[in-house]
Amino acid sequence: MDFGFWLFQTLNALQLSMLLFLLSVGLTVIFGLMHFVNLAHGALYAVGAYVAATVAGMVGYWAGLLVAPLIVAELGLLLYWLLIRRMRQSGPMAQVLVTFGLIFVLLDLTRIIWGDIALGIEVPDLLSGRIEIGGVTYPVYRLFIIALGAAIFAALALVLAHTQIGAMIRAGVDNDQMAACLGINVERLFLLVFCIGCALAGLAGAVAAPVLSVTPDMGLKILIPTLIVVVIGGLGSLWGAMAGSLIFGFVQTFGAVLMPGLASVLIYALLAAVLILRPAGLFPARG
Amino acid sequence: MLDVRNLDKSFGAIHVTRDVSFRLDKGERRVILGPNGAGKTTLFNLLAGEIAPDAGRILLDGRDITAAPVAERARLGLARSYQKNTLFDGLTVAENLGLAAAVASGATRSILRDALAAPAVRETVSEVAARLHLTPHLGAQVSAVSYGVRRQLEVGLALATRPRVILLDEPTSGIGPEMAHGFHHMLSSLPRDLTLLIVEHDMDLAFDVADRITVLNYGEVVFDGAPDDARNSALLRDIYLGSWENA
Amino acid sequence: MFHLSPLRLGTLALLFAGALFSAFASGYAGLEILTEILILAILVIALDMVAGFGGMVSLCHGALMGAGAYAFAMAGMSLGLPVWAAMLFAVLFTGAVGWIIGAICAGSHGIYFIMVTLAFGQMGYALVFESPFFGGDDGLAGLARPDLSALGIDLNRSRAFALYCLAALVLVALAAAQILRSGLGRALVGIRDNERRMRALGLTVWRTKAHLFGLSGMIAGLAGVLAAQHVMYISPGLMAWTVSGEALVVVILGGLGTFVGPILGAAAFVVLRHEIGALTPYWHLVVGLILIAVVMSRANGLFGFVEGRLARLAARRTAKADAPHREPRDA
Repeated sequence: MDFGFWLFQTLNALQLSMLLFLLSVGLTVIFGLMHFVNLAHGALYAVGAYVAATVAGMVGYWAGLLVAPLIVAELGLLLYWLLIRRMRQSGPMAQVLVTFGLIFVLLDLTRIIWGDIALGIEVPDLLSGRIEIGGVTYPVYRLFIIALGAAIFAALALVLAHTQIGAMIRAGVDNDQMAACLGINVERLFLLVFCIGCALAGLAGAVAAPVLSVTPDMGLKILIPTLIVVVIGGLGSLWGAMAGSLIFGFVQTFGAVLMPGLASVLIYALLAAVLILRPAGLFPARG
Repeated sequence: MLDVRNLDKSFGAIHVTRDVSFRLDKGERRVILGPNGAGKTTLFNLLAGEIAPDAGRILLDGRDITAAPVAERARLGLARSYQKNTLFDGLTVAENLGLAAAVASGATRSILRDALAAPAVRETVSEVAARLHLTPHLGAQVSAVSYGVRRQLEVGLALATRPRVILLDEPTSGIGPEMAHGFHHMLSSLPRDLTLLIVEHDMDLAFDVADRITVLNYGEVVFDGAPDDARNSALLRDIYLGSWENA
Repeated sequence: MFHLSPLRLGTLALLFAGALFSAFASGYAGLEILTEILILAILVIALDMVAGFGGMVSLCHGALMGAGAYAFAMAGMSLGLPVWAAMLFAVLFTGAVGWIIGAICAGSHGIYFIMVTLAFGQMGYALVFESPFFGGDDGLAGLARPDLSALGIDLNRSRAFALYCLAALVLVALAAAQILRSGLGRALVGIRDNERRMRALGLTVWRTKAHLFGLSGMIAGLAGVLAAQHVMYISPGLMAWTVSGEALVVVILGGLGTFVGPILGAAAFVVLRHEIGALTPYWHLVVGLILIAVVMSRANGLFGFVEGRLARLAARRTAKADAPHREPRDA
């Protein structure tokens, strides 16, 4: 186990972390602002991957990467008006159940539209091939995922910290009733954040499509890791989502090579420990 | 019976309880007075164990219960009522009292017998219900009865545990003067060996029921003595009683 | 507070009669469906105990069922216990696991409780899935059914096995009703309604929760044993979180905290799955839509809806009957 090994695995871990970050950040901010747990977030990611694969097949990769988040955001808008708006006052169990039902519905809808066969997606020339860094050759596309995740994180952190809309979101997460009293249109803020969260899920799907095969159950598979990230990091926190993603990515990746057979158990044990010792997660959004 | 020694509690920079000490003898009825924000409810939460003090000790019958959990204090005979009704809203009045009596008697630990059907529990329920005029409401769901009835039930739950010391947090808040008077009468008719600590806004009630008065202000005990002394205390009249009369 | 109203008792009697009738009237396919219903009914009784009466919405009951199945298999294969002893071991083991999970999760509420139980369930799934000791992804085959030949019963026939599962369900329902009616069950409902007050009255809340979760785990474990004996093969799929999710769906469709509703829900769920599954491969779409509709309607499932309607009807009737005699009420 030389330096090359460690570098290679670190890059793998980062790649997984950034993918999870794109998914979990939407979920976590939606929860922080609306106290709404959307179990169908993973299903939206699968829809994003399918849309990206379809558009990429017709027009090209970059078009797919652009269109997928937009379509998924539209879908999110639809879901918001049909279901989520009415579920805002319900308890966590009702929300979990409705979005659990939504998983089933979206799963079968993708099967009806795209069939059961796994779809592939071509990586554009610019991102194909491998390059050598630090003595290891690594696929360019995976480096692209890492860069994209980091860029999105930086952009979100800047928006949250330095813009008016960011201040409104932070106020809403901290105390939505108080925010409403201060004249912030909380309902519209919810809608905006919900759509951005969905768009990021769609983007994650589009980005993941070339690395993983696109199948109807990909949303179900990614859901549990995403929830773990969100809970470890602390519901509602951007930094928590990043920290949780990194923890998950590294524990999973290094666990799989150093302690095969125990990696997943390790993750769940970690999750249980966090929930018991720090029930609000490592970086809770509220004081 | 209940010995409170030098209790201290701060929330951040705010010192809510400062070096509070007093002793309740068996059967004593003590009323705690003080303006809003004087730290009365915090003191109750400290005594009942819902929050932990920063310093000081609480002894029940000579036994240090400062670190004991809420449930253990209750089992040792320290019952409380809440300023804001904390009832089982989805259950009937009878079931509310039954649960209280069953928990106190240990019947809720049985996996075989129905705790609510136990003769001792039923007896307690009807006795407490009669004392608090709850008998006509026994079959009604809590969410369906009037505020006054719920206020009575709030105290009823504490009584149904058959406590030795009972902490009542503003038991007459929000109910009319007539009902408050009836309540006051009920308190006087309780067995004399029951020790009472009452936070009360109603001055008349305070002076009628109390053997002793403790006055809190900004978390500190500023007066501790007999009701007559409290009535005649210039300090209290000027600073506290005045503020009530104006309110 | 739990009690068996005439409506509930009547429905239970009807369900029992229906199950008994179909056990004798059905062919092989029907008996398979019946057995599936009976086992699912046992699992959802366990879930309704904690979720419906204790407010502990568990997403690990599928995993507990799986734990029972694996414990049964391992007790037979590795420890060499005879079938009955292995069954007993599995039930006790799952009960112990449930007790521990319940004790640890007692401090969590709402969405956090759902998440922690999900985490524990997934932990079990990962453990079984990744460990060759438990047969890994391939699962374990060759599980035995109890030998009742001394009584002249051959449990390898589907009818005898269905009746055996029905007997288990009846026992479980009786035990669950007894638990819910006991002091422990009463305390559980008190906790659901107002945990803080229960504590102030002197109840050690976490212990009550752990006991109930343990008892519920025992029942889920029994469901797992029966499921393992039914298909004589177990795989990690039994422990996937979606199994827990489906069990919760069944409880909700039937009526949370109504005791009878979830059993009804189990029957409806399995029958619908087979009927719709025969028509279209998109069974999940239908279930998803039904689930969304039921939850958004705010009715408490099938049975809760009927109960609520009847209660309102009865209230209206007594109000009408009382109206002429009623004294004017003070304001």
